[in-house]
Amino acid sequence: MCSLLFLENGMKNNRFVAAVLIPGFLFLILFSVFPVAYGLGISFYDYNPANSQNPFIGLENYRRLIHDEVFWLAVKNTIVYCLAAVTANIVITLFLAELISVLPSKWMKTMFRTILFIPCIAPMVGTSTVWKYGILGTDGGLLNKIAGIFGIAPKNWFLTTWQMLLLIIIFTLWADIGYNVVLFTAGLEGVPREFDEAAAIDGAGPVKRFLWIKLPLIGRTFAFVAIMTMANYFQMFAQFRVFAANGGRNNTAMVLTNYVFKMSFDSFDMGYASAVAAALFVLVFLVAMVQNKLMRSDWSYE
Amino acid sequence: MMKKRSKYKKYHYVIIAFLAVLSVIMMYPMVWMFLTAFKSNAEIRTYRTKFLPVEWTLEGYRSAFERAPVAGWFANSMFVTICVTAAVILTSTLIGYVFAKYEFRGKKLLFVLLLATMMVPPQVTMIPRYLMIQKMHLFNTRWALIVPGLVSAFSIYLARQFIGDIPDSLCEAAKIDGAGPIRIYWHVILPNIKPAIGSIGIFTAMMHWNDYLNPLLMLNDMEKMTLPLGLVIFDSQRSSDLSATMAAASMIMIPMIVIFLIFQKQFIKGMTMSGIK
Repeated sequence: MCSLLFLENGMKNNRFVAAVLIPGFLFLILFSVFPVAYGLGISFYDYNPANSQNPFIGLENYRRLIHDEVFWLAVKNTIVYCLAAVTANIVITLFLAELISVLPSKWMKTMFRTILFIPCIAPMVGTSTVWKYGILGTDGGLLNKIAGIFGIAPKNWFLTTWQMLLLIIIFTLWADIGYNVVLFTAGLEGVPREFDEAAAIDGAGPVKRFLWIKLPLIGRTFAFVAIMTMANYFQMFAQFRVFAANGGRNNTAMVLTNYVFKMSFDSFDMGYASAVAAALFVLVFLVAMVQNKLMRSDWSYE
Repeated sequence: MMKKRSKYKKYHYVIIAFLAVLSVIMMYPMVWMFLTAFKSNAEIRTYRTKFLPVEWTLEGYRSAFERAPVAGWFANSMFVTICVTAAVILTSTLIGYVFAKYEFRGKKLLFVLLLATMMVPPQVTMIPRYLMIQKMHLFNTRWALIVPGLVSAFSIYLARQFIGDIPDSLCEAAKIDGAGPIRIYWHVILPNIKPAIGSIGIFTAMMHWNDYLNPLLMLNDMEKMTLPLGLVIFDSQRSSDLSATMAAASMIMIPMIVIFLIFQKQFIKGMTMSGIK
């Protein structure tokens, strides 16, 4: 992707370039790059903004991290959540995008895409509040109403263990599939018709055509979607705050983002929280590297 | 007529039926929120199985406005969103223009740095940003939300994609006519990326209107809050007043949904531009 971006021969005007980029990048560095280094620095201190003295303690926070059960649980939950939600998201959205793209009428395509997209426009903190009462609510929530039809007693879902994490995954999918449906539909519609028709004449059914013709041809879209969705899901925070602010029962719904927040702003243990944040950073970085290796897509139909 | 009908085959109807059912499921929580806001709390408790309000009432909205500074939250959200959006449109088109149309040393490296900043979860940098905002004496002001948002890596990336599509010959022709970089930006670039400005604007507005983490970190006083943070505080203080909570939730979501429905085309174009290329 990157090599293609810089083929064109551009204009030259170093003074103008400097006048735009220097302030712009100073700003980006101040609010995006410098805080990473600053946070790493804080992680070597016993830091609480309310204290007058914040002693340097070296690697003590990291030593504590290694023995912190809740931290490892949060790492596990974050990985489980991201892998499950991203995989489910991509399978579901590819399927829906294919269904939408084969529809013959344009207004129907637009309508279904729009409906699937509407939850994406709303803030997750708002939609999770709606779900908290309307779907998961102990009395009056849709889930317990459906359970009632089958004679199952209403349940307080917020006291459950793995079910809570599963429900948060389902919520995330509801709230977020619209984006990728739009991206995949656009990708699938960009595949030249001749390929599909040629395969159809050769006797390939719709499933085969999808898996062997269209999917490889949208490789670039696929790579972009997979990388962005993964990066995005590592940042998910609002729904965990609304559904399980304290990590849920026995921390079964505790994820790293919420753990950093809880440690820094509920207990003001910012040195330790910075060590957790550093671990989150390393995890995101590793996953990005692996994805980059796996998804080098050189497919193109141009 | 006959021709038109023949486009539809049997499996198309199966797909349509399936997508229709899915659409109902997708819309249910939103519709539930919207309708619950028009029910009284007594009704919510007594008629649990009823979906539509038995008696439509504005009690929920009135209660939301009376018991919490919702009007102020709305104004704060508007102010922050408008300031940041205007600034981001300017900064991202300028920086995007430089990346798309100028040749300079270290371009590739700077662009990779730009993309890398998008991958860092905001929770990684939130403690330092919180401390920095305090040192800058911006804590608990609306500027704490505005200043860090003035330059956005994602919007620069998006602007660059769109500006790259403008033929180089247009810029060169203007240059031969004696136009400087600013004049090219104003007279050649900006008029040619109106849809991009639309999508960058909508993306940025949506991100800041919906933002929860930053207000949660940077604001303390009830009157200074924005809508999403206000909603959570409101809900935690008055969890028994469900109709007011849903009224407040509707007030956050409905303006954005309406704007989205109006500017759908730009929005979807902007999204696919960022993803396909």
